[in-house]
Amino acid sequence: MVDYVIETNNLSKKYSNNLVVNSVNMHVEKGKIYGLLGKNGAGKTTTMCMLLNLTYPSSGEISLFGKNPKDYSKEIYSNIGSIIETPGFYENLTAYENLKIISKIRGDFDPFNINSVLKMVNLENAKSKKYKDFSLGMKQRLGIAAAIMHNPELLILDEPINGLDPFGIKEIRTLLKRLSHEFGITILISSHILSEIENIADVIGFMDAGVLIEEISKEDLHNRLNKFVEFEVSNSDLAVNILKELGLKENKDFTKNDDVINLYSNLEFRDKFNTLFVNSGIDVKKLNLCEENLEDFFTRFVSNN
Amino acid sequence: MLTFIEMEFLKLKRSNIFLLSLVGAITPPFLMFIAVLAFGEATSFETMFTNGNMYMTAIFAILLYAIMISYLFGREYNEHTLKTMLTIPISRGKFLISKYIMFLVWILILTIVTSVSTVIFGFIAGLEGFTLKIFIDGFAQLLYANVLLFLTFSPFVFLSLLITNMVPAMVGGAGLTLVNLMVYSQSWAPFVPWVCPYLIASGEIAGYSTSVNVSYGVILVTFIIGLAISYIYFTKKDVAV
Repeated sequence: MVDYVIETNNLSKKYSNNLVVNSVNMHVEKGKIYGLLGKNGAGKTTTMCMLLNLTYPSSGEISLFGKNPKDYSKEIYSNIGSIIETPGFYENLTAYENLKIISKIRGDFDPFNINSVLKMVNLENAKSKKYKDFSLGMKQRLGIAAAIMHNPELLILDEPINGLDPFGIKEIRTLLKRLSHEFGITILISSHILSEIENIADVIGFMDAGVLIEEISKEDLHNRLNKFVEFEVSNSDLAVNILKELGLKENKDFTKNDDVINLYSNLEFRDKFNTLFVNSGIDVKKLNLCEENLEDFFTRFVSNN
Repeated sequence: MLTFIEMEFLKLKRSNIFLLSLVGAITPPFLMFIAVLAFGEATSFETMFTNGNMYMTAIFAILLYAIMISYLFGREYNEHTLKTMLTIPISRGKFLISKYIMFLVWILILTIVTSVSTVIFGFIAGLEGFTLKIFIDGFAQLLYANVLLFLTFSPFVFLSLLITNMVPAMVGGAGLTLVNLMVYSQSWAPFVPWVCPYLIASGEIAGYSTSVNVSYGVILVTFIIGLAISYIYFTKKDVAV
């Protein structure tokens, strides 16, 4: 039986007449990185806020670590680290003081632990700097430090790479992968940046207009990405005629864009098509077997659903 | 709960509002000092305490406490720290109560500052007749009035949760100060929650036809209503992120 750290059952949130989260059934397996993917306003943050008890659900159920968080609130939430949008810290205090407040209230204050977690997110030199003087990237990294400081079993991170530069993004990605793979921490991460989710997640939940359309594992996703053959030819009109004579339909089996023809069906005969083109005096400059990228898949997936 | 209070103190570190509140607490004795020098308003420490306490409780404290409350509660929203604190996790009720206690502790600190600065300004002004009894009586009167005032500020907690911006608190505090000044000599002053504390602590309530118990009742009802609505609102409302 699969061990789910997060499981929701018809989880919904309604503001007045606006249904922002609609019957979400989410399943996050233990030890996995689950990427919640969706456009801005898809309902990702609201869903995460409901999981963290910051927002109360209008209906539906939440199970965290197999328990109802209403009954085991302290036990459950002590085991969760989180960032929701931009991290919130006291602006007049330093990084160290902010983490001290959190750990003191949690009851696990340890100066060594704070220093080591600041080092982990490359903020050891900024520990005495006031939070209001932090850059956005530093704020985000302090948020991650606060989220992992107490060695949680589950991380809920809403857009954690917002504001980070490419180096910062890479660092955080490496850190999160390490936390998941080395320490077995389950991570629920949301983003509207498809490449990031593709890079990091084991399972992707596609969310749009408050609905969790589908949860797909990384392997399954690659099987479902459309594959096509890309021909770059010297005479695309002639090549199109050849394909039409073979019974293939334009804009269905293939598309033409300048000198590039993308073939979506009969991929196994690509070598035969290539021979036909060459024998007809067409120079084939390039022949690639391609896979639809996540962006195209997401667009197609959301519009189909 | 002690840890909560300790952390609330840490949150005030390098805070301009805390320094501002200290200046606010010193202002009434300082004004009395000016009045002594310029107009000879007080000739003894006793008068200095009586008048200073009146200015503090009936006028300055209203505006000052409104700003303090707005800062204590509203900053958690404005600096987006509420979502961080509540996911630690902390019970929302405990969090709210710790803020109330911190507000009371802050008031106690200001009470000490006001009383001590009254003595200091009195000596600088050259007043005579200082005794420990005068100090203790003056301090006790101010402390009693301030604790009662604390109780009447629970509706402000609700307002600061509802409107997290500090401007409404300042406008509301200033408005309430004016109301206090206007109703002070009216026969129905003992029914106004924010006037009662001074009237009770100074003993002036005896000059009104209304029983002191009515004023205590008004303060208690104000406190309970404010506490109840702030508690319900804070524990039931979604946290804005």
